[in-house]
Amino acid sequence: MRQVLVLCGKELRVAFDTAQGAVVAVAFLLACGFFFGNNLFLMGQAEMRGFFAVMPLLLMFFIPAMAMRLFADELHSGTFELLATMPVSSMQLVLGKYLALLLQLLILFSLTLLYPWSLSLLGDPDGGRIAAGYLALLLLSSGYAAVCLYASSLTRHAMVAYIIGFALLFAAYLLSQAAMTMPPAVQDWLRMVLPLPGYRAMLRGVIGLENGAYFLCMTLFFLALTGFQLERRRWQ
Amino acid sequence: MIKAQSLSRKYGDTFAVRDLSFTINKGEVMGLLGPNGAGKSTTMKMLVCYLPPSSGEAWIGGVPLCDSIAVRRQIGYLPENAPSWNDLSVIDHLRFTGRMQGLDGGTLRDRIRTMAGLCHVDGVLHRRIDELSKGYRQRVGLAASMLHDPELLILDEPTTGLDPNQIVEIRQLIRRLAEAKTVLLSSHILSEVEAVCDRMMIIDRSELKAIGTAEELAALASGGNRLHAVARDIDPDALRTRIGEALPEVTLTIDERDDGSLALELTAGDPDAPLAATLFRSVAEGGGVLLEMRPEQVTLESVFHRLTGEVAQ
Repeated sequence: MRQVLVLCGKELRVAFDTAQGAVVAVAFLLACGFFFGNNLFLMGQAEMRGFFAVMPLLLMFFIPAMAMRLFADELHSGTFELLATMPVSSMQLVLGKYLALLLQLLILFSLTLLYPWSLSLLGDPDGGRIAAGYLALLLLSSGYAAVCLYASSLTRHAMVAYIIGFALLFAAYLLSQAAMTMPPAVQDWLRMVLPLPGYRAMLRGVIGLENGAYFLCMTLFFLALTGFQLERRRWQ
Repeated sequence: MIKAQSLSRKYGDTFAVRDLSFTINKGEVMGLLGPNGAGKSTTMKMLVCYLPPSSGEAWIGGVPLCDSIAVRRQIGYLPENAPSWNDLSVIDHLRFTGRMQGLDGGTLRDRIRTMAGLCHVDGVLHRRIDELSKGYRQRVGLAASMLHDPELLILDEPTTGLDPNQIVEIRQLIRRLAEAKTVLLSSHILSEVEAVCDRMMIIDRSELKAIGTAEELAALASGGNRLHAVARDIDPDALRTRIGEALPEVTLTIDERDDGSLALELTAGDPDAPLAATLFRSVAEGGGVLLEMRPEQVTLESVFHRLTGEVAQ
């Protein structure tokens, strides 16, 4: 466990210490601010529904950017060989990197807590729904982060990792948009498999154990896949 | 310290390393020599548990490779080109590596101080790695690989891409380290292995061609005894007869030069055949003069070329 935290610490340091990490963080916060301000100033609503509704789209662009270099860069520069010959397992490497990505997102989300706070000064927002929204956001990004970490383990090029991560998330997004036009049986099935229906249900305030379980399973599945992919590289 | 038995590794259908068996004793400096693409790096990657062998087994300090975490704890590994985290400073790189190896607190600080001093990187500890020269990066890599005080050091081409001064420095460093450790280093430069290693293995086209000290390998490649000489004022046929009578199994080639002297080359299968004495007597008895006599020196280079089937330039 100690090594997982050491690796996580190194990744966080690189993420916030380099220009690339800072640019992604600032761009993310600017985009969040834009969508939040849109609702507040143009529509005059003291609430965050619009903000949470647009977040899956934003995350689709930003999480692949935060995750792309995690394994791809190590593979490209040869430092993966250093990591892989340290006395740690592949799964510990995956967990360390994943934890760093999740913490990075958590830090960015906590900076957006300024919005509900300013709303509470202006009006009387529904605190319960906002809390549910943040919980949903956290669960969704934990799943997305695992997908993008997996994408990063597939290639030696960070840009290709970005494109794979984005394509996977975008495909899931398109499918959930198209689900409404499909036959009911397929719709039910897609609702079970895709992440967005669960996210939207949580935004409506429907928070069940199944939502948490779904995102936990999604995360574990992609983390296991990442570990498997790293092991597979040794055999190729 | 290392024992390998029929170690093989395939990439797809082709063997990168085939049927490698060898033993490296504790405290020894072993050189892994071979042309590019011979399988040196693959061998090393198998020993550090980065690549699993397709077949065969090896033991590091008595621990089999399949117990990979225990094996990795005993090894300090410097991959080819000494990769390092360029976004970090030297001290952060060393701290991170040390912590991943399980060091902490005072021990980590002490080890970093010792290794940084030994590898002469104490002056650049707070510089970012991507600002350093290749020689410094190589030294940072070496320092990092030894932080956890491993018994065995595996260095993949530690001097590639360095200038002559840096090469000398790294060699001295390796020699200093080798006093207390077992070292396995790879190279395609003969003089380097000759200068640093106690014993060497020659690998070519995925297979082990020879293993031994430089002298053992030289003896292996010479496969006998050869003498070059220049003589004057003697009839070539008479000389051929005389030598033929004294040493029947010797092959003699005679080349008449423009100035009237004869260039002679004597080759015997028996390394103990008295070529020089016989030639001297034969020339003297025939009334000739011997101008020059030179036994062939078998260099490691000729061994290498012979074993790897390459033509010496």
